[in-house]
Amino acid sequence: MDKKALTQFILVTIAVIVLSLLYFFYPAATNRFYPTCFFHSITGYDCPGCGSQRAASALLHGKITAALDYNILFVLLIPFVFYAAFVFSWNVFSRKKIQQHIFYSPVFVKILLCLVLAFWIFRNIPAGPFIWLKA
Amino acid sequence: MEQQTLSQAPPPSSAPPKNWLVESILVTIFCCLPFGIAGIVFASQVNSKWAVADYNGALQASKEAAKWTKIGFFVSIGCWVLYLIAVFALGLGGFWMTSRSLNQ
Repeated sequence: MDKKALTQFILVTIAVIVLSLLYFFYPAATNRFYPTCFFHSITGYDCPGCGSQRAASALLHGKITAALDYNILFVLLIPFVFYAAFVFSWNVFSRKKIQQHIFYSPVFVKILLCLVLAFWIFRNIPAGPFIWLKA
Repeated sequence: MEQQTLSQAPPPSSAPPKNWLVESILVTIFCCLPFGIAGIVFASQVNSKWAVADYNGALQASKEAAKWTKIGFFVSIGCWVLYLIAVFALGLGGFWMTSRSLNQ
C-alpha cells in the first residue's frame, strides 16, 4: 500500500470530520469567528466561493434550499468532490487503480471554468433573477 | 536538471500528469481567489495539451497548476491562522460572544 497516499487519506478524513463537526455545531451564518472572504471585504462584491461556509453549515443540517441560496455552485460541485474522494480512497485501498476520468476530460474543465466565471459575474448583478445567486 | 525533466516526453500510453483540478475547485469554493481560478485554467491546459499529444506542455501546465493551487491553499491557511490569532489573542473573543448571543 502507498504510505504517502494512506497518510493523506487519514489526514483528509480527520480534517473533514473536524470541519464537519465545527460547521454543524457552529453554523457559519450565526457565528462571527469564521473568516470572511478577502475579495468580498475589499471590493464588496461576491467571489465564486462566497457563501460556501454558510452553505456547508446549511447542508450539514439538511437545508438544501438554504444551501443553494447561499452558493449554488458549491452545492453543485459537492458531488464531484465526493466522486474525487471516492476515486482517491479506492486507489489507496485497492490494488487495481482507477482514474478520475471526468476531471481529465478537456470539455469538462472548459465547461467548469466558464461556469465559475459566469457565476462570478452574474451573482454580482443586483437585478432581476440574479439576486438569487448572491451569497 | 529541471530542463532535462521537461524535455523528456513521456510515452503516449501513460496517464496524463496530475492536473490539480479537484484541489483547484476546493480552493475556489473555499474562497481564495484568484488562485483557484488560475488553477482551473492550468488544469484545463493540462487536459487539452495532453489530448493533442503536447506532453511537455501538459507537464508544464501541471506544474503551474500545482503551484497556483498550493499558493491558494497556503495563503488561505495562513489567513485562517492569522484570523484566529486576531480573534482569540487580541481579546476579540468577548466581542464574538456578544455578537453571537445577539444573533441567536
